[in-house]
Amino acid sequence: MGPVSYSWYNSRRCILSRANVTLVDYGIGNLQAFCNIYSRLNVSIDIASTPEELSCAKRIILPGVGAFDWAMTRLIDSGLREMLDDLVLTQHVPVLGVCVGMQIMAKNSEEGVIPGLGWLDAKVKHFNHNNLSPDIHFPHMGWNDVEPAFQNELFANIIDPRFYFLHSYYFSPANLMQTLATTEYGIQFTSAAVSGNIYGVQFHPEKSHSWGIQLLRNFSEI
Amino acid sequence: MLRPRIIPCLLIHNGGLVKTVKFTDPKYVGDPLNAVRIFNEKIVDELIVLDIDATVSNAPPNYKLIGELAGECRMPLCYGGGVKSLNEVENIISLGVEKVAISSAALADQTLIKESAQRVGNQSIVVVIDVKKTGLISKRYEVFTHNGKRSSGVHPVEFAQTMESLGVGEILINSIDKDGTLSGYDMDLVDLIRRVVTIPVTVLGGAGSQTDIANLFQRFGVIGAAAGSLFVFKGKYRAVLIQYLSEIEKDQMYLLDISDSPLS
Amino acid sequence: MSDSYKICTKLVVDSSYPDVQFDEFGVSHTYNDFHSNVKKYWQTGANGKRHLEELVLSIKRDGRGKEFDCIMGLSGGLDSSYMLHKMVTEFGLRPLVFHVDGGWNSELAVHNINVLVDKLGLDLYTEVINWQEMRNFQLAMFKSGVPHIDIPQDHSFIAVLYKFAREHGIKYILNGGNIASESVAVPSEIFYWGTDLVQIRDILAQFGSVPMKSYPFSSILHHKLYLRYFRGIKVFKPLNYMPFVQKDAISTLQRIYNWKPYSQKHFESRFTRFFEGYWLPTRFGVDVRRAQFSSLILSGQMTREAALTRLEQPPYDSELMRQDFEYVATKLGIDTDELRGLHEMPKKFYWDYRNRNNFFKLGEWVLSRIAGTTRGGAY
Repeated sequence: MGPVSYSWYNSRRCILSRANVTLVDYGIGNLQAFCNIYSRLNVSIDIASTPEELSCAKRIILPGVGAFDWAMTRLIDSGLREMLDDLVLTQHVPVLGVCVGMQIMAKNSEEGVIPGLGWLDAKVKHFNHNNLSPDIHFPHMGWNDVEPAFQNELFANIIDPRFYFLHSYYFSPANLMQTLATTEYGIQFTSAAVSGNIYGVQFHPEKSHSWGIQLLRNFSEI
Repeated sequence: MLRPRIIPCLLIHNGGLVKTVKFTDPKYVGDPLNAVRIFNEKIVDELIVLDIDATVSNAPPNYKLIGELAGECRMPLCYGGGVKSLNEVENIISLGVEKVAISSAALADQTLIKESAQRVGNQSIVVVIDVKKTGLISKRYEVFTHNGKRSSGVHPVEFAQTMESLGVGEILINSIDKDGTLSGYDMDLVDLIRRVVTIPVTVLGGAGSQTDIANLFQRFGVIGAAAGSLFVFKGKYRAVLIQYLSEIEKDQMYLLDISDSPLS
Repeated sequence: MSDSYKICTKLVVDSSYPDVQFDEFGVSHTYNDFHSNVKKYWQTGANGKRHLEELVLSIKRDGRGKEFDCIMGLSGGLDSSYMLHKMVTEFGLRPLVFHVDGGWNSELAVHNINVLVDKLGLDLYTEVINWQEMRNFQLAMFKSGVPHIDIPQDHSFIAVLYKFAREHGIKYILNGGNIASESVAVPSEIFYWGTDLVQIRDILAQFGSVPMKSYPFSSILHHKLYLRYFRGIKVFKPLNYMPFVQKDAISTLQRIYNWKPYSQKHFESRFTRFFEGYWLPTRFGVDVRRAQFSSLILSGQMTREAALTRLEQPPYDSELMRQDFEYVATKLGIDTDELRGLHEMPKKFYWDYRNRNNFFKLGEWVLSRIAGTTRGGAY
């Protein structure tokens, strides 16, 4: 298999593609990084930019980088929203939201005005609300430890989990049972969330060396 | 707790890697792709790649090279050099680069900064401030652009504050006087800027040893320590050999009591 | 396998090596040649030690008052690493240690060079080959269809070695070539002379596209004749005068320096790994491991059974091979389809291009009579 080319993937029909993991292409996020990692792991991955391409997904990754409103606007414009809602909420296809991809799964964000997907009962808040010391700078940028709150397949076989973070807002679920892992940055915040088939990670597994590679491998086996 | 970042910085000139001293006299250091690959395998925290020709030659970013480098990195990549339009910022981000560094254009066009931060998010916009000490009698810091060739008359503190207000996510302070000298970071300069901004700061220019990095962390807590020569040259004959810190060496840096380090 | 397939009954070279001959017992000429001609140059006992000590004495004497008394290249590979360790720690030599960066260093090589140089307290020199030119040269070699596509890396090493020796007035070159692991050579039509400038220039003229302004070319006449015989530069292969068992050498280096081993010889360069581990076997049907393992069988470091078992597996992990294929294509600036095309194109050999093979063969014959050496080889 040669280097990934989007046009090659776009031309595949659903009937042929039963790839292990499907990446949602709605114009943002480091798709190439995910593809490179799964390609090295020999896990089949394809990219969906139309509802048809998305429709047979076995597992979905919703990447994201950037501002909340920008991400939601791109998602709505992509025409993938309805298919995503159906796959995730009705068919219970496992989905992993990454960074802003996780945030848009919430109901809304203090960063913007557009409502999120609402898949999880959560709000996205700015860290500053917690009256932190001025030594703590934003965005939260760099390598930080992630502590799983309970055993879960997503964090299996990851020793001493640490990942790269790059964000100024954090995911705050109404139900604490949905907090899969926490990280300390001034406050303990939810750095990974789970609810049934829905997973979200605030950090960037696609840019976190072997820790991230293991997490992405785990997701492909869920 | 958040770890301070230790970041190799690579300079690109005519498509190849170079290292400079005080922004002049570029010495050829090799192929960027293989260097990035080795850094990747050394599990570096993050990588900065700056194209030092682009602003001066007014060329567009080398998207092919950027895509290849981004494809190799399993850690975040910050790319800069001659970025002057929103379109270029978006293109670079979409190639899989986490952060875009803007330098000369930030001084010339403040709307670029504002719009870029809004479009791709402030966490993805880094402003590089190249600083030199000027003046005959009393030396003061001044921001320079175009690869250190044009003086701006602007003080870095004022510039940093303006940039933060426009939505920039990170300041990269680059000391021209210290570049390539391996004589230690300009701590005074860092102090001046660290006091006036609330966003993350990364320092580049002068790191000559792991002690320099340790000193930086001891004084400023969580901050980015970037270095070029330190990670690329070895020994008195300036042999070109890519190096980085081992896990153990990094842990020793972090053992410094960071949380107690005051900003004062 | 066809009827004409033969494999040596003592070693593992087979009929895929074009110039191998078998006697009536099915034994290859390389085996017989080793015992009659090569073995005498391999002195691992007291004789060897004495020879080495005498050699070291002359090196030290001639090097008095100079910054360096000898020169050696360090690739990060086992042979040069072990030689450096021995010659510095046991014999107290002061080598100018250099490394040629052709743009393909693996992280392992860089690590190993670093730990050696640090622990031994040596100052390293490097020569970084201009990547655009190296790439141009390598791509031209691929396009020519010949097997010896590693010449760009090999040639630059030789040229830089002699350049540093000349610049620093160093008379003694230490070479890590050794009988213990290299007595059996890969066929010459596969590993052609790296210094045949006529061949190189012809291939570059036909398939290159970038002017070679800074790439270090060195003419064989210049370095083998002028520098060696007129300026008196001597080449020695110290590893032939001491016991050199790969397993032991590796564990010594690991213990003292935290040196890390490679999965196969020459794998310190990503390109060479690709070339010897994938390109040569799949395009030309030649597996260099046959020569390497046969050498180890002859030096008693490997059994024939073990060699045969290893040869059943591909030289390296097929997943890694796939990644290397993509990486090589990216580095060369072509896409994988084009690289595949080059892999499938009709095979060419040195005789399809201008060459001075006859001149080189004559030179080798002459030198073997005068100095008892073989080309670029184990002794």
